[in-house]
Formats: sequence, structure tokens, C-alpha cells
Amino acid sequence: MLWYKAWLETRARFVTSLLALTLFCGLFVHHALGQIRPEWKSDFHRLLYVTQEFMAILWIMSVLLVGMGGIVHEKAVGTSSLSLSFPVSRGRLQHTRVGVGILQVVVLGVVPWLTIFMVSVHANMPVLITQVGFYVALLVSGGLVYYAMAILVSSLIEGAYTAPAVAIGLVFLSVIILDSWFKRVSLWGFLTGAFYIDKKTFELTGHFPWLGTLVCIGAATLMLVASTKAVQRHEF
Amino acid sequence: MVFKLNPSAGQPLYSQVVQQVRHAIETGVLRDGDALPGIRTLAEELVVSPNTIAKAYSELEHAGLLELRHGSGAYVIAKRRLKSRAEQIRAAQERVQKLIDSLHAKGFTEEEIQRMFAARLFYDLSIERKP
Amino acid sequence: MSDGLAIETHDLVKQYGEVRAVNQLNLRVPKEQITAFLGRNGAGKSTTIKMLLGITSPSSGTGSVLGKMIRDASQNREMRRDVAYVVEDKQLYAYMTVEQMVRFARSFYADWKMDQETRLLKQFQLPLRQKVQALSKGMRTKLALLLALARRPQLLILDEPSEGLDPVSIEELLQEIVKAVAAGVTVFFSSHQIAEVERIADRVCIIDHGRLLVDASLDAIRREYRRITLSFEGNAPPISPSFPGVQQVKTSGRQVALLARENADAVVELTRDLHPTSVEVTPVDLREVFLETVKEN
Repeated sequence: MLWYKAWLETRARFVTSLLALTLFCGLFVHHALGQIRPEWKSDFHRLLYVTQEFMAILWIMSVLLVGMGGIVHEKAVGTSSLSLSFPVSRGRLQHTRVGVGILQVVVLGVVPWLTIFMVSVHANMPVLITQVGFYVALLVSGGLVYYAMAILVSSLIEGAYTAPAVAIGLVFLSVIILDSWFKRVSLWGFLTGAFYIDKKTFELTGHFPWLGTLVCIGAATLMLVASTKAVQRHEF
Repeated sequence: MVFKLNPSAGQPLYSQVVQQVRHAIETGVLRDGDALPGIRTLAEELVVSPNTIAKAYSELEHAGLLELRHGSGAYVIAKRRLKSRAEQIRAAQERVQKLIDSLHAKGFTEEEIQRMFAARLFYDLSIERKP
Repeated sequence: MSDGLAIETHDLVKQYGEVRAVNQLNLRVPKEQITAFLGRNGAGKSTTIKMLLGITSPSSGTGSVLGKMIRDASQNREMRRDVAYVVEDKQLYAYMTVEQMVRFARSFYADWKMDQETRLLKQFQLPLRQKVQALSKGMRTKLALLLALARRPQLLILDEPSEGLDPVSIEELLQEIVKAVAAGVTVFFSSHQIAEVERIADRVCIIDHGRLLVDASLDAIRREYRRITLSFEGNAPPISPSFPGVQQVKTSGRQVALLARENADAVVELTRDLHPTSVEVTPVDLREVFLETVKEN
């Protein structure tokens, strides 16, 4: 029942984020599509790209939100003793939370894009499903890095509001540092597809970014493992 | 029977139970063959540790006053000689009453008399208990 | 590791910087008895319990609960299957309903008893579909208690169980504890409600500033502790507190009150040499024993 608990704990945040993202994407694309003629193919793709950029901000916020909580946070709320008194290891408590979170991150990435796809179909300007797949893959693997970071922060920092504040701070920091100084490894660039966008057609081109995805998943995994160690070592 | 246990009286609770059962047998409140509640039941009723009741029943059993039948409860054993003890007690109670009346006549209040008895008895009891 | 002990600790210490919250604690909690853990706020009761359950790790020392070492993570986890614990501030998951909370707890324990769950839900009048955050403190406490009392574990650890409860509920709680012990459960509860402890405890452990000051059966305490009040013709003579068995000496005008921890009659005999006009020996209740013991520390 630990999965159920993790679900109940994040349900409100998850559903709110999902609705916000889906509505935003759907409405934004629907409205903009109304302004575009089907012949303006590149503009259409440019629109998608712009959507992705705006959505990415909401996306990162959602992912951070979903990554908050956990047993260290419970200390601030007063239920850590209860959770730790059950005959389950700290590792298992952490893994179920992360498991639920990863599923939520995937859903949060897939559903809005499916909405965009459906809206575009309805407007008789269907997006190529491969484009959707490409965007989703970038979004989710990039998002997993931010999610893992949120988990790590919430596993180290006590305090009901301190953890989210630090997480947001770190995101800004990483965006500033990586984006301005290490453009080549910018997570933002990766996540929004900036690396793969064809400047003329605004379509995502090239091979599927296996390397980028693997690096992201690797980084995320490292942070998640570190977060479990942090929880196991924490003084309650 | 009705138990009145005092957790602050300086006397172990099991000892109070034993005393009150003895008194009940001596005054005829409990008769030969009467059933006392089982250990669990009595403990829950009085809200005391079952170990207290178990100790009390064990002591009463060793004193030959109680028969513990496994499964069916505890039964009082009141031999003939204890019945005459009841009469002895009644006679003693009359003497106590006479003494109290004479102390009243001398002007002592109920409270003063009670204190005298309590202090004296408690003192004697605590001395007596050492082997 | 002794057969008859549910909890055992050896020189258990918890240090927070300069402060020793738990100081060389040697606990011996026997099986199938009710042991009360008495102490002021901040005396170290909750910290000790948290160390036993692996929530906090000791600074030094060892301990075992139900034969499993508390410092070994997997042994401790195994032991927790057979232990029911009621947390100090009774916080439960705010986002769950009463029903969800019960189902959640139930899923972890093989010793859960459905008939007890049903009975207690009814007795405590807990609204199944209400969220925990909407419950009053008393209701939340009862729910926290239910999660432990709907089981027949080997050991029941309660941290200030009656806090926030009205007298009727306290009575119900004490009855449930008695029922549990009668069914073979060992009970270890911390409290500073002396009246409750006096009614049901078999043993009492008094802790102050992290140290165990008294560890005795309540019967022994009742038999041994005595207040001896001596009255004198003139002013009371000075009495050395180093009389054997005397814990405390209080002089007031023509009277001296001694608190004897043991051998009251021997103490009385010794005071004869002082020629008191009267000697009164009276019982001492647990509250006085606690207050005097803690004051002296």
C-alpha cells in the first residue's frame, strides 16, 4: 500500500499540474492554429516549438512540485515517526515515492502532447506523430533530471517550504550556468528541442537523441541513488 | 462482590484484593462455591493489570480460599472454621463500636478517632511485614 | 539476550551536541507486564523509544527489542512487524481518510484483528470517510490508538497515549491496555499522568535528564516507600540524610519528615534515640515518589 500512499500524497499536485499543462497546451495551440493557414507549414511547426518553450516552464514547475514531499519533508509535518515505524526500509519508502513520481512525470509529458496532437487533428493540420514522439522524449528525459533534482533536494532539506524554495533556486541556477556558459550541455536546450530544431522548417530533425536521453536518464539515476543514501543516513 | 481498590494507599493492589476477598468470605458476602470472575474479566472490570489479579488469585489459592478451575473460573472455598471466624469478626466489630462510642463520649471527633486508628494500624502493619 | 525481557538496553546514549538526552540507559522491560516510563517533558522518554524503533540511531550503547538488535537495520525492521507503536503527537497522514488510514496500517501487519478494528471503530465513533486533517485532536488520538489496539502484537509501545483524551476515553484506553495484556501483549508506555500509571502499571521506570533513577515494581514501591513524621518536644534535632534508606529529610519547626525508600522500620528504630514524642508512618503515593526522586536529581 506504499504506492497508494505515495499516490494519495501527490494526487492533488499531480492532477492540478496535469490540468494546467493540458489546458494550456490545448488552448494555446487551438487559438494559434486558428490564426494559421494550412499552407504555412513552417509557421505551424514554429508554433509547436514556441508552445514547447512556454510549456517547458510550466513543465519544470510541475515536475518540481511532484518531486516534493517524502520522508524528510514528513519530519516538518510530524508524520516521519509514524512512517518510519512501519516494518519497511527507508529505501523502500523512497523507491515507491520515486516510482509513482516517475510514472506521473511520464503522464505529465505525454498527455499534453496528445492533446496538442488531437487539437491539431481536429483543425485538419495534424502534427506528425513522430514529431510528437520526439518532443515527448526530449521533454520527459529532460524533465526526469529536474525531477531527480527535486527528489534529491527534498531528501536533504528539512522544512516544509525550504525544500521547494531551494529546488526552484537550483533550477534557476542551473539554467543560468548551463545555458549561458555551457551552451552545448544546456538542459533547457535539450528539453525544448533547441538543439534539434531546423531553423527553416522548425521541425525537429536528425536522429532520435539517444545519447542525450541516456545522459539525462543517467544523471537522473545518479541523483536518485544519492537521494536514497541521503534518506538512509538522515537523523530523524 | 464489590472491590474498592486504592492505588495510592501504600499497599500493593494484589494485596488489597486478597484482603477484600478474605473479608468478604469472613463476613459471609462470599460463600462456599460462589464464583469469582475470571482473571481477565476481573482485570478488565477493575481496570487493573491482569498480573495483579493473577497474583491475588494465586495467593488466595495457596491460602486454600480459592479454587482455580482452568477454563471455568475461580470458586470460593469457605470452610466451616471460617464461618465461625465470621462470628468472631462480628463480636470484634461490636468491641470496636464500644471503643468508638467511649471515645466519642470523651469528646473526640470521628476524624480524630479515624486518624488514631489509621496511624496506629499502618505503623503496626509496616513493622509487622518485615520477616 | 534474556528470555523474559521484551526490551533490554545496555548503556544507551543519545547525544545532541553538548546535551545528553539519554544517558547510559539500562532498561529491562519484562514480557507480558505493563511497564510505565515516567518522566518530565524532555526527560528522554520519546528519544529512547525512537532509538528502540530505529527511527533515531544511538550515539553509543546497544539494545534489543524482542530479541532483535536495535542497531541492525534489517533486524529492527523485522522486529517492527511485531511491535505496535503510538506516536507522541498522534500525527497521521492528513490527506488520508479514516478508512484509508486504517486500511493502510492494516496492510503491514499479520497480527491485525478485524473484529477488534470493527469494535474500536464503533466504540471510538470514528467517521470513516472523513479526512484526517478534518478530525479533532481527540478523534485523531483515538484513530492513532486504534491503529495499534486493533492488533495483537508481541509488544505495544505507547508514547503519552492519553494526551488530549477526555476522562471517559482515558478509561476506555486503560481497559484496552488491560485487555491486550490479558491476551499476552507486553505493554511499555511513557506518561506523565501519574494517576493512570498507578492504576495499571506492574513496573515503573522513572527517567530524568536521560538517566534511569528508579526501576522497580509498583508493588515494591508501595511496600517500601514510607513517610516517617517525627514530632519533638522542642525544636527538631538535625538529622543526617545519610541514614540508610532515607531519601530525603525535611525539617519544619518541631517536626521532621523523612522519606524512606526502604527499611522504614529500621529507620524508625534508629530514630528512637532522638526521643520523639510521636512517630507517624504513612504511605507515599507514586506522585510523591516521582516528585521527590526528580527533585533530588
